[in-house]
Amino acid sequence: MAQTLFEKIWNSHVVDEQSGRWLLYIDRHLVHEVTSPQAFDGLRSNKRKVRRTDLTFATVDHNVPTSDRSLPIVDQTSAMQIMALEKNCKEFGIQLFDIHSPNQGIVHVIGPELGITLPGTTIVCGDSHTSTHGAFGSLAFGIGTSDVEHVLATQCIWMEKPKTFEIKIEGKRRNPHAVTAKDIILSIIKQIGTGGGVGTVIEYRGDTISELSMEQRMTICNMSIEAGARAGLIAPDEKTFQYLKGRKYVPKNYDEYVEYWCENLKTDSGAKFDKSFTIQTDEIVPQVSWGTNPAMTVDVTGRVPSPEEYARGNPDEEKAAAKALQYMELKPGISITDISIDRVFIGSCTNSRLEDLIEASKVVKGKKVSSKVRAMVVPGSQLVKKQAEELGLDKIFKDSGFEWRESGCSMCLGMNPDILASGERCASTSNRNFEGRQGFGGRTHLVSPVMAAAAAINGHFVDVQDLDLN
Amino acid sequence: MKGSVIKYEQDNIDTDVILPGPYLKIHDYDELAKHAMEGLDKDFHKKVKPGDFIVAGRNFGCGSSREHAPIALSSSGIKAVLALSFARIFYRNAVDGAFLLPIEIDENVYKDISDGDSLEIDTAKNEIKNLTKNKTYKIKPFPDLIGKIIAAGGLFNYKP
Repeated sequence: MAQTLFEKIWNSHVVDEQSGRWLLYIDRHLVHEVTSPQAFDGLRSNKRKVRRTDLTFATVDHNVPTSDRSLPIVDQTSAMQIMALEKNCKEFGIQLFDIHSPNQGIVHVIGPELGITLPGTTIVCGDSHTSTHGAFGSLAFGIGTSDVEHVLATQCIWMEKPKTFEIKIEGKRRNPHAVTAKDIILSIIKQIGTGGGVGTVIEYRGDTISELSMEQRMTICNMSIEAGARAGLIAPDEKTFQYLKGRKYVPKNYDEYVEYWCENLKTDSGAKFDKSFTIQTDEIVPQVSWGTNPAMTVDVTGRVPSPEEYARGNPDEEKAAAKALQYMELKPGISITDISIDRVFIGSCTNSRLEDLIEASKVVKGKKVSSKVRAMVVPGSQLVKKQAEELGLDKIFKDSGFEWRESGCSMCLGMNPDILASGERCASTSNRNFEGRQGFGGRTHLVSPVMAAAAAINGHFVDVQDLDLN
Repeated sequence: MKGSVIKYEQDNIDTDVILPGPYLKIHDYDELAKHAMEGLDKDFHKKVKPGDFIVAGRNFGCGSSREHAPIALSSSGIKAVLALSFARIFYRNAVDGAFLLPIEIDENVYKDISDGDSLEIDTAKNEIKNLTKNKTYKIKPFPDLIGKIIAAGGLFNYKP
């Protein structure tokens, strides 16, 4: 019978199946400092070991300061959480890329760049943005700490079988430098809603997907969780195999794997999905979120909607929009390009890879950050930072007035020193504009790296379609 | 289970408001409890009583995979969240760690229950009694495996 890519990966990992209960084998387990301490405590108190230390990789990213790494960490609770992971990895024999490692970085950036992420594998991590790894045709789920402990102990996870959701991304973007993968995924979430993918694994398909680079595909899969999906998937192709080739942890007989992946990791023609949605990319323009969830997003050429316009007759949505406008201190009807900003954050597991930084640097080269704005670039990993510096991007950003920082989650989630002050408004390349996400009272507008860079220069949002980005 | 309702009539209550990021460094459950729902309702920790229930709209617990979210609610005394739907990671965390019961309710039950109502939840009978309004609502039973994990007291106590 014709099968989807999801079904093929799922079926090849089922260890046991009993009345609606599936036990899945996990090929790779990524660990970070925030969601793991209690899991290790649990192992210790039950005298359990980590079953497959060779398939488990850890790094520190959420807590780490992005300032000078030669200085001690000021926040003692952060320092303790980081030290706890170091101690746990040593005790249980797990490979850790610590704060001083040349391979340290955001867990979803380093997995692919080290070749830990492979097509056809199952990956879990105690982090909702694990969906990122789906860009490689890997079935990747975010899990909580109890499940982290379960996977550490057993290398398996119980699951209910998700439904399948096909999202076709078709057409030619008007200007691929201005309309980015971030704008595509924000447009999708705007249309299907934050609950549009609940209980499903999304497979992104269509001619636009084939055209996107691996880094752009990661941006798309990364935000699958913002539509409520369990995971996002993209079938691997020549670009995937080229990207991974020669990376540190890929298998030695790589070409044999590629052969297997080519034959086995595609949705068969005629396979049925439970749900389907199509988006035409030729209609998409750069996106800016105005509210407090990622579906509250509008075209840069548009205006902040009124609660009635946004809700289209749904009273709950209308209330939510009114509350969001109040939090964001925005009035309906104002042009997006009239919104002034205080801060710019280019970074996060959504948009902190080399290509993101290259594209953003084109906007700022030879220009100065607005005097009203504090702007920072936070490369996703030490490797991204090094590669960017080899290209001279650090100089471009610093010359224009950006801060050039060390790798980590930084201002995406407000648990390290990089936070917004209450009332500050930020153009951010991260993934969540929830209330208080970037700091209590902080106001987040989700945008692409080029949009964030242009906002830094101008002090307000601008339509990057009007810029020369080639 | 008997308790009173704290109702938030809104969808998409995310884990960043249930337990804001800065508190993810806290390991002490009682300390986490002090910050439960802080992003949405600063007075939550003052009004919550042991045994209370939260009633909310769609996609409760969306966002991050932080287990701190159900832990903070549970440590503050919340025994169950009754919502129109749940984000899946939150649901798993609540069940696997045996922190609280995630109960899906339908639209008319959601509308009927008011803030402050006194409820009695009986998962064996799959019903909720609204003692304030003197009504009984039927709820869907938990799926087989989830029911078993709940009955066992979490994933690590469950023996297949």
